[in-house]
Formats: sequence, structure tokens, C-alpha cells
Amino acid sequence: MPTVDAPKLLARNVAAVRRFSRPVAGSVAGNPVSSRLESGVGNCFPGLECDLRNLERRFLPFLEIEFQLFQVNGAVVQLIQPVAVDAAGVSTALANGELSQSTAEVYGDIGDAIAAARLVAGVELSGTFGILGQRRLDLTQLDGTNTAGPNRNPPDAWTAVRMLTELSPLEVTFIALEPEETFILNTTRARYLDDNGALSAMFLPGELTQSLCSPWTHDFRDCGCFYWASNHPDIAQPVFPAAVPPADIQSWTTDVPWQRRDRPVMPTPPAPANTGSSRPVELRHYEINRRWQELHFVVGRRETTLPFKAKKLSGTPLPNLPTLLAHLRYASGVEIGVAQEYLTAAYSLKADNDPSLGVSAQLRDDVRATRSELMRIAIGEMRHTRAVNDVIRALMPPGTFEPALRVARLLPQAGHPDVDRPVVPRPASKPALDDFISIEAPSAGVDGLYFDILATLENPPADVGPFVASEWTEAISSIIAEGEDHYQTFLDIKEWLAPHVEADYLRNVNPPRPAPGQAQHDAFQVAYAALLEDLHTGYEKGRLSGAAEVNAARVAMIGTIDPLAHAVAEAGFLVAFDDIADPRFHPIDPP
Amino acid sequence: MMRRAGAVAAQPSAPSFKRFRSSLGEHVLIVPHTRVFDLPGDLADDWDADPAASTRLALTLAEQSPGETALEDVVVPSAQSISLNVSSACNLSCGYCYADRGGFGGAQSTRMTAEVAIAAVDTLLAGADRRAPVTIGFLGGEPLLNRALVRQVVDHAERAGAALGLDVRFSMTSNGTLLSEADIAMMRTRRFALTVSVDGGGAVHDRQRPTARGRGSFAELAKRLAPLLADPGSAQVAARMTVQSDSMDLAVRFDAVLGIGFSEAGVSPLRVSSNGSELADEHWPGYLAELIALSRRELGRALAGGSIRLTNLAVALKRIHAGSASPYPCGAGGGYFSVAAEGKWYACHRAVGDAAYELGDSRGLDEKRRQDFLVERHVHSQTDCRGCWARYLCSGSCHQESRSRSAAGCDFIRDWLSFCLSAYCELSTRRPEYFGIDVTH
Repeated sequence: MPTVDAPKLLARNVAAVRRFSRPVAGSVAGNPVSSRLESGVGNCFPGLECDLRNLERRFLPFLEIEFQLFQVNGAVVQLIQPVAVDAAGVSTALANGELSQSTAEVYGDIGDAIAAARLVAGVELSGTFGILGQRRLDLTQLDGTNTAGPNRNPPDAWTAVRMLTELSPLEVTFIALEPEETFILNTTRARYLDDNGALSAMFLPGELTQSLCSPWTHDFRDCGCFYWASNHPDIAQPVFPAAVPPADIQSWTTDVPWQRRDRPVMPTPPAPANTGSSRPVELRHYEINRRWQELHFVVGRRETTLPFKAKKLSGTPLPNLPTLLAHLRYASGVEIGVAQEYLTAAYSLKADNDPSLGVSAQLRDDVRATRSELMRIAIGEMRHTRAVNDVIRALMPPGTFEPALRVARLLPQAGHPDVDRPVVPRPASKPALDDFISIEAPSAGVDGLYFDILATLENPPADVGPFVASEWTEAISSIIAEGEDHYQTFLDIKEWLAPHVEADYLRNVNPPRPAPGQAQHDAFQVAYAALLEDLHTGYEKGRLSGAAEVNAARVAMIGTIDPLAHAVAEAGFLVAFDDIADPRFHPIDPP
Repeated sequence: MMRRAGAVAAQPSAPSFKRFRSSLGEHVLIVPHTRVFDLPGDLADDWDADPAASTRLALTLAEQSPGETALEDVVVPSAQSISLNVSSACNLSCGYCYADRGGFGGAQSTRMTAEVAIAAVDTLLAGADRRAPVTIGFLGGEPLLNRALVRQVVDHAERAGAALGLDVRFSMTSNGTLLSEADIAMMRTRRFALTVSVDGGGAVHDRQRPTARGRGSFAELAKRLAPLLADPGSAQVAARMTVQSDSMDLAVRFDAVLGIGFSEAGVSPLRVSSNGSELADEHWPGYLAELIALSRRELGRALAGGSIRLTNLAVALKRIHAGSASPYPCGAGGGYFSVAAEGKWYACHRAVGDAAYELGDSRGLDEKRRQDFLVERHVHSQTDCRGCWARYLCSGSCHQESRSRSAAGCDFIRDWLSFCLSAYCELSTRRPEYFGIDVTH
């Protein structure tokens, strides 16, 4: 083992000296900084880099220990189990006078016990436990209780050890069985780092990282913290048996276990996943090692074995900043417009406590899910409104920002690029749902509106360039991506409601639009106008200063407007949003 | 203006280090980039005990440092140096002459014209890298047989070079027997490197280098050179001894050459000849012994504060000290070309008339041929050489001698280099000032 005093290679000629001279270009050969301990993501879990729990394995000099669970008097407790003794280290320390003879003998006894395969466990620790001070802890009593208050205990042995003060004196009582013997070790808590901050030489290379995840093997299957599972699905829709989707796509739109053992692609889809045990169905741990290559890629929630070509988004950059701003303001209006339509649709559904929903268990669940998802999407559009406003603010000189809260008069239609349709409040009828599907369809409708905006940010004209930041292109890209999710969700909603007739799930198949003067409707409109006012002020003030107003708006939505909307619906009317005359909120035309 | 034109991969199993010892102790040469390290204490035993570990360590030490060129690279520099074969005739008829007295076996029959010479010089000056010196050399046959052209070229090159801001230098390899006062005056006043072929004392020299009529040339040579040797001015004069297999008493011959007045002489063993006088396998051990004995003597001088007069040793020590490592033994086809009398550019002066080495003319070089040549001559392309520890020091040796390569011939080179490595270690410790090493830190 090389020591500090070992002879070194001596550079003799110019070329040898040059090899070790300071580099000119600043590139240093050797381990990258990412391989150094201090750059690591250290945690106390078999995780990404070093598992700091491995430090405690050598908290006692010359001993390697494990924290093991033992059955003691009917309870399960964590004790300290020595697994190896550094006999050579003990001899050297004894010879150097760093260790007493009696202590060396205790190490010897422990070593002999281990060698004879006798059970040895540390049951008592006496030392200085950080803020707990000088204590004598009976590890068999550390059961996780009494962990608060003045006489609190550490919850387990490992925590107790972690509280020990480095280099402080320590007395450890070990018990060995067959025959029962007691060894008392007087020592100190070892230092984990040396004077240079490097890991002490008592740790063997690789020791800190020996308990890391092995993602390519078993943890893939059963990662306890779901880290690896988060990158890989438990369930996915099965791969089609042929290159073209089958005729009865419905039976293939089901979630199956992605790691199923039974993998041949049959004319009928695999058995759907259920909440039962995965053991009989999924690849076993030993199988995963070899058969991981059989797992399919999942694109768009479905397994695929075909090459995947991402659809190229195509938009045309707008010519200048005023045009871009006009499109953004309109986009914000579209978000508000569709949010209004979705909210109207959501409130048109039967209330959750409506007894007529009891006709079938499925009906109540489907209506519940539909309302929940409609609300989620509507809220999503509201977030889009906020995001678009942030982008507009960023593109305008400071102090000139005017919030974009004017609802769009017309919405873009998929399939009819030149014909826009007005915002139409209506119940969640089947045709309405089809309209919702089409407006959120990828690369059409709302999406199409954003493609041009995104293209402009990515290839900005001269007057836009100075204001562009990746934050804004990301924001627009996110809006587009969420549109995809909305589209999928509306497809799902259509599926859920497919088995039901409109009269089953709607309060009223054709609710009338309330006229001004209708009490609940008026109250609702007043609250809505106040909401817009709050949003306007909040957006105008900006992200932090406007927090109070934005939060007030949020609170109002949940606490005031939602109940008022329900009241309108219960009164038998359509929940609709009237046009507001205030020029700040008056409907806006497409640019 | 160096252009990286590609790379020739190294042989992965080629030795990355060479262990050697000197009177000081144990050392190791890290082969890539010629790095010399001492192995004090038990380090040598540790090194030798675990070849796999020491190979790994050697490879780490061999890693390229800033400023070093990757050894597998094929680098195409700008042409920086040419030799002009100004004469196709010679007044001597040495048996071993590679140029067949200037005729190159019929390939060169006329003397070079001024037009051809000037065109070559202009091409050189136009394309040379301004940051480095440019060298124009004169060869033949005997170049002084066309001294008028030599004079003309020197004058033109100086003027044209000065206009371009170039540092132009000159060289000549001559038999020395025709040197005139005017020639000496020309050389004294310029940076002229003159190499005179002197094979030893009168007896050996006259035998090996007779006139066309069979008479000796030593006396004439000594007489003509005396004034220049006494006062070289800006010129540098060196002697080059060709060693045939029948006269390998190097020390005696060396002393005789220095006795004429030369301050240094280099020895060149004949490897290729048309008259059977080259060194064969059985000669190498004897030659090595002679060379080492002579070298030891010169080293003794150096340790006492003197200079090393044996060019081979002086250059080897200098290169080892600097850590010279190159995949090429010379600049042939890279920075150096030889222009034949009729104007064709060859990779080297020993290959005039050899189509394989013809790379263009004064109107331009065939870059593809040039690149192919450099790839082919790279030491990693030589099957004999790429697995040898001396591959970046010997670099495959003279291209023209490669066909006579033999195990014994290569053993000689390796043993000679081993000797030089040990000598370097001893000299750099005992007299570091020789290498300009500052020991006061």
C-alpha cells in the first residue's frame, strides 16, 4: 500500500517535466469533477451516487459493521453487528502504542467469534450523542418511541450512531451467543474524512457506492422509491398486432402490464392490468436481466415496435413585434373563450349528489370523472392565459404592459382554417364534445395559433429578437404540449359518456340562456367581472407585487364563483359568461 | 502552416515504455513523446514486477501534453527547405556514392539551369512559413562544379527572401576538393552549413574516395579547407564520415578527421551500396562497440567541461533531453524536397530519378501523392517499426535505407539509443550545464 513517504517517479528530461507542468489551455487530465465525492448527490438511500449510510459501517475503528434487525424479547430492534475485524490494523496500532493490550484482546475476541460463526451484536452504546449529550443507550430499547421531549431517544441504532461526536470516547457492549459472552470495547468514533477533506483510507475503494441502484436489473422491476419506475410505465396500451390500427380499436385501448411475461403479439389484446399482485404476470427479477430487450417503447401511451417519426410542428414566423403581440393577445382571448365553454359544459352536468345518477354505478363515476376533467382543462386554459400574459409582458418595454384579458370573439376551427366560430356556451352534449375535441386537435385549432407564435420566437424578426428568452419559447411549447393532453382527455371523456344518453348525465339537455335580471345569473356576472378586475390589477403589477390580487382571484373562483355557477345551473339555466362592455375585457377579434 | 491530413493508428500492443539503467540507477523511457524518468528505490522492482500495471502507468504518462502533436497524426507542413541538385557531375568517383556521381543512374544528365533553380527557389519562398527559417541546399554530384549557379541562387534567394521577411539559410554537401577562396568568402559571410565528406585519415579516405583518375583526394581536401576551418565566420563546417565494412576503426579515423581542423564529425555506416561495401549483419556488433567506445571518450570530455565532437552523440543527447519524438525520420516529402536538375521535385535527394518519390515540380506539388507518401512513410505504417520501442527516436530511419533493414541493423540502432539514454542520464546529472539545465532552484 503506497504511503506518503514512498519514492516517486522523477522526471528527468524536458518532455517528462512537461507532462506534469501546469497546463496552458486549462484542461486537466484526470478524473472529472463529477467523480469526486463532494460533487456527488449524497443521500441516505441506494440512489444516484453515494449512499452515505455506508459511512457508518466503519464508525468503530478496525471494525466493519452492519445495522441488522434482531428479534429481542419479541420485539424487532436494530442492533450493530460486526462482520469483520481489521486484525492487521489492530496489530499495527498495538505495536505503535495507539491501542492498549486489553482493547486489542477485545478485537481479537470479536474476530474469533465472527470466525466461529457465532452471533455477535452490539447492544449498548455509551458516549456523547451530539445534542443529547453523554448517554448510555440500550439499543434493544430503541423502538422508535420516546423520540421527543427532554429525555428523548434516537429512534434506532443507526440514528444513534450518526449522532456520535467524531473522535469522542465510546464504549460499546457486544454480546456473543453460544456461549453467551460479553465484550466491552473502549474506543472512539472514527473520523470519516482526513485532514484534507478526503475520505479516510479506512474506506475501501467503491465502498460508498456499493449499494447503488442497479437500474438495468432488478430495481427496474421493483424500485422501492419508484425512481426507476417513474421512467418506465407499469401499464401501457398494447402494441397493435399489425402496422395499421385494428378495426375494433376499442378493445385495444386498454391498459396492460408493460413488463408482462407473456409477450407474443396475438390477434387479441393481452389481459388488462389489474390491481392484484403483479407477481404471476410480470417478468421475474432474474428474467428481467435477459429479457429487458423484449420490452417495447411506449409512444403516446401505446407500445410500439414501429419506427416513430415525430410530427414536425410547422409554423410561419410572424413578420414583426406588433403582429406577434396581436396574435398573443388573441391567443389569450382564445384561452379565456375555451375556458368559458368548458366551464359552461362542466356546470351543465348533473350535480354529484343528484339521485338520478344512481341508475348505474358507472354513470355516477363517468359524470364525476367528466366534470373533474373538464374543470382541470378549464383551469389549464386559465394557466395558459397567465403564461401568455407573461410572454406579452416580456416582449413589451417596461411600464407599457397592458394585460390581455379580452375574451376572443371567434375561435379557430380545426378543419376550417379560414372559418372561425363564435364562442358558444352550451351543455356538454355529444356534438359539443366533438367540437372540444377538434379545437384541441394537434396542429390544428388552438395549436395552430401557437405554432406561428412559437416559430416567431424561434426565428425572431429584428424587433422581436432582443426580447426573446428560452423561458418564453418554453412557455409556448408547454402550452402546445398541454393542448395534446387536453385533446387526449376529451377523447377519453367522449369514451366515458359514449354508453350514456345526454338526458342521463346532463341536468338539462337544452338549458335556456338566462337573461339579464335573472338573480343567480346577475350575481354570477358581478362576481366574474370582479374576478377579471382582480386579475387585471394583479397581472399589471407583475409577478410578485400582484400576488395579492391574483390570489384573491383564485380564492374568489373557488369560494364565490363556483357556488354561484352551481346556483345558476340548479335554477335550470345555462351557466354563461356575458360580454363585458369595459374595453379591457370586451371581446377581441382575431388579428 | 501545418495541415493535419489524417492519422495512422498506432499499434495498440506496441511497447509504451523501455526500461534501462545507468551508473546512477534505474530509469524508464516512456516511448510516446520520449519522456525519461528515474525509478529510485524499489520503484524499479515494483515496475518490473507487474507489467500490466506498469503498462497502464506508462500509457498515462504518455498522454499528450499541451504543445505536443499527436504521434499518429499525418501532418503536412509547408515546404521549408529544398536541396538543388545543381550538378550532375563529380570530380571524384567514390564507390558507394548514392548519386552515381550525380547522374543517378542516368536519371539526371544535365546541369541545372538558372531558370529551373530560380523557379524552385521562388516556389519555396512563396509558400514557406515566415516564422521559421528557410534553407536552400546545394547537392550534386559535386555542387561546386556549378558554382556560378550556386552564387546566382544565393544572391537571388537573399534578395527575394529579404523582401518577404524570410530568414534564408544555405547548406551544401561537398567533397571539399574544389573549394575556392571565393567560395569560402561566400560561405563565411552567410549562414552557410557546409558538410564535407571526409572518410578518415589519408589512407582510408583516399581508398574510399578516389578521384576520377584513381588518385587520392585527402591532401587536396585538407589544403582547400584549411582557411575555412581556421576562420569559419558565420559558416558552420562539419565532417561526415562514411564507414564501410572494411574499415571500422572509428576512433582512429575520427581523430584524423578532427586533425584536419574540424570541430565535429559525424559517422554514417553504409547500409546500401552498389559495390558490396555496406555493413552486413555480422558487422553491426563490431560497429556498435567502436561507436560506443568513441562516444565514451567524448562523454569524458563533456564531463570535464568540453564539447562533444561526435555529431551523432551530440544530436542524440540533445534530442533525448528535449524529448524529441517524431513518426518521421526526416522532413522528406513534408518540409523538405530535393529538386532534380530538370526541375522535378523529389521527396529526398537520394531518390532523384525514383518515380515513387517524385512529388511534383516548381509549378506545384501533387498534394495527393505527397499525402499518400507521408501516410506510407509514417512509422505506424512500417510493419517492422511500429512495434519497436525506438519507433519515435529512430522513426524508421532513412527511407532509402529501409530496403536494407535487418534485425541486426535494427538491434544496432536500439542498442545505440539505449547507450545514449544511459549516457544522457549520467551527463545530465553530473554536468547539467551541458544541457543548459539550471540547478540553482
